[in-house]
Amino acid sequence: MKRRICIYLLVGICIWFFFLVAPVAARIKLVALPERGSTSIRLDNPLATLIEEERVLTLQKGLNLVDFSWKGVSIDVDSIRLTLLTHAEDVTLLSVSYPPEEPALVWGIYSEQPLEVQVRISYLLSQIDRLITYKGIAGTTETWMDLKMFLILRNFSGEDFEKAAIILDEDQSYEKSIQHGETRQLLVLDKKRIPIEKVWTFDARTLPWDPEQLDTNVGIPVSYRVENRPLAGLGESSLMAGKVRIFQEDGHGSTIFLGEDTTDVVPVGDKLEIYIGDSRDIVVTQRKMQEKKINIRRNKKNQIVLYDTDELIKATIENFKAKPATLTMIQHIPGQWEMVECNMAYTRKDAHTLNFEMVLPPHEKREVTMHYCRRNLR
Amino acid sequence: MRAKLVLLATIAVLLVCRPLPAKVDLVTLPKRDAVQLTIYNAADLTLVMETRSLTLKAGLNRLQFSWANTLIDPTSLEMLPGAHAGDLDIVDLAFPPRMQNLGLWQVQSRFSGDVPVEITYLTSGLTWRAFYMGTVSPDEKAMRVHGYVRVSNNSGEDYENAKVRMIVGKINLIDAIVNLARREHPYGRPGPPPGVLRKETDAKAPRIAEEKQVFMRAAEVMEGKPKAIKKEGLSEYFLYTIEGTETIPHGWSKRMPSFEVQEIPVTNLYKYEEERYGEQTSRSLSFKNDKQHKLGDTPIPGGIMKVYRNVGDGTHLSYEGQSRFKYIPVEKEVELDLGLVDTVIVKPTLMGFKTDKYRFDPKGNISGWDEIQEYAVEVKNTRQIPIQVVIKRNFKTPSWNILNTGDFGTYEKVDLDTVQFRLALRARETKKFQYVLTAHHGERANEN
Repeated sequence: MKRRICIYLLVGICIWFFFLVAPVAARIKLVALPERGSTSIRLDNPLATLIEEERVLTLQKGLNLVDFSWKGVSIDVDSIRLTLLTHAEDVTLLSVSYPPEEPALVWGIYSEQPLEVQVRISYLLSQIDRLITYKGIAGTTETWMDLKMFLILRNFSGEDFEKAAIILDEDQSYEKSIQHGETRQLLVLDKKRIPIEKVWTFDARTLPWDPEQLDTNVGIPVSYRVENRPLAGLGESSLMAGKVRIFQEDGHGSTIFLGEDTTDVVPVGDKLEIYIGDSRDIVVTQRKMQEKKINIRRNKKNQIVLYDTDELIKATIENFKAKPATLTMIQHIPGQWEMVECNMAYTRKDAHTLNFEMVLPPHEKREVTMHYCRRNLR
Repeated sequence: MRAKLVLLATIAVLLVCRPLPAKVDLVTLPKRDAVQLTIYNAADLTLVMETRSLTLKAGLNRLQFSWANTLIDPTSLEMLPGAHAGDLDIVDLAFPPRMQNLGLWQVQSRFSGDVPVEITYLTSGLTWRAFYMGTVSPDEKAMRVHGYVRVSNNSGEDYENAKVRMIVGKINLIDAIVNLARREHPYGRPGPPPGVLRKETDAKAPRIAEEKQVFMRAAEVMEGKPKAIKKEGLSEYFLYTIEGTETIPHGWSKRMPSFEVQEIPVTNLYKYEEERYGEQTSRSLSFKNDKQHKLGDTPIPGGIMKVYRNVGDGTHLSYEGQSRFKYIPVEKEVELDLGLVDTVIVKPTLMGFKTDKYRFDPKGNISGWDEIQEYAVEVKNTRQIPIQVVIKRNFKTPSWNILNTGDFGTYEKVDLDTVQFRLALRARETKKFQYVLTAHHGERANEN
């Protein structure tokens, strides 16, 4: 595919005058085609791709008109910038003009003397972007995994790029050619034996309380937690948002697919939590055993205006696995409340959310009872 | 003119109807050495691992892999060297423009010669499901269970001599593999709308494969005995590996026995709960997936069990019904629900009703009261075998108390407004019991 973006150098004030008064179709372009030098494709912003290309302009003394036009590509015209890399003290960018009904602009550049000036042209180009995907292979013990990160470069911009610098962030750059219509997958991170923590989470707000009543199994969500920090073999930079596929070694020289998830950006120091699937070997059955009004307060008409409740929740947790499991059970109590009695320690995640962390031995059955009062209900 | 039209129409029909050959190929080496299929049952997903032997030269090698008319997810493609890994760098994987279903690996090699590689990818179209046949003994105290798996291949690709593995478990999937396989571009295009779908290929079209049918039969005859299925737990899933290899051409299914257990002790359980079953009882056979019941080595994948009963001289069968059951973990009790029956009758009769203890607000309106219901419950077993009956009663109010009399043990509180009575009945036995329920309404609920 031929290059679609062209740069033309128009020299001389007379030509500039002619250019202003002539109709569009008759616009004369004096071609002094400077070759595109090094090109970079900046992908650090996932929402927009910035192209930076360097060229050498041959300027005459006085006003020079440089015409930048494109065809078959979508450039954000307001994003186009010209940066002088050499002779900045001798050259002044005077104006930027947009010809009518044409994808182009004209820079008016004044030069003190005839010069060859190196410039960088920057612009936002549509239909070229990147995706990030991850592939993790957990060990059989599920305490570590190998993690690969792939950069997926998609170019449907209409422009071919030869040996462009693909810049993912300040620290990561790769030289690649990519044609219009091409997708390219590059391995950009390959870390071995990153520690992982496997966790099971039962959230009483989102999961059914009585699985026996349902025709399908109620799975307890299972996740891997990975810390983005140097001690865990990561922590060099934020992990970018993308799709994560997790596999596991099967002990026979191959792998099985465990599941996939998407992740937001994970800054250094934060945890990446990958929800891989559901466990049907841990069953939580939760029932409300008691709910009654107490401390009833009435107005002069004997109407109830304020009361408390006395509530009892019983959750039975069964681990049918032959291995221990670390379960986080999340309970929610709305409004003002006080725990009267609870047979297991918990932490308050916020005013209305309780976290119970428990390690369930193999084939363990455990019961959690929460006896609490909700206060000052109207 | 007319002749020309006919000719053109014929050509058009031929073009439309001609099935496109499926193709999975690496140009430098057209043949797989081995292939392994790991098929999931909770999602339309199979992990394929192929082993191929590549001949590489020192320097840059370009390897082409194409998969026309299959349901392969190109975003899952990966190639890993099986040897000389330190001498090989997989530079990138490109999906070139204007070419569909084709990937191009660039491999920088410091080694010259044959290198085994593993190519893995996810595909859609291969499925498996478990199903069972149970035969209860004439006294209905034991059941013989045959388990089967049925593997079907509608992937567009023939898999010959494949090692077949099956996964039981529910995985989290962001995108359906079939949708990824049908994208025009492997990762879609930038910007909205994402993932333009191309027209469906003929991957699911039936194909005539007589030679394959012969091949399958020959392979089965050569085996001579049913294949064993190895079972092992991995993460939250169970992996079932079929002994040896299988050939499953596109469009074909294969049924294989997974296990057989004789004489599993079972309990005939009849459940009564008006809100769920109406005025009839629901029959179930219960047992536990544990050693006592000759099971308990692995979980049992969910599926349908057709239950028969030996009758007459033991060689005849009576069809008792079928039950769709969920995945059964090890040590978990299972109830095979065989549907509503009228051979066990539970008849609760309201024998007395009164209200009492009214409360009034300052305006003289009723603000609370008790409702007292006296029930007599008759439970009749018309069958010639002993059974167990569970009767659930829902009171629809959290404030209540109950007094009970009659020939049953005690009731068990299920939750704040439900209790259950459990009775054991001998053959053709009838039992009766009574209970008095006092439900507190309005202000009376606040006093109790």
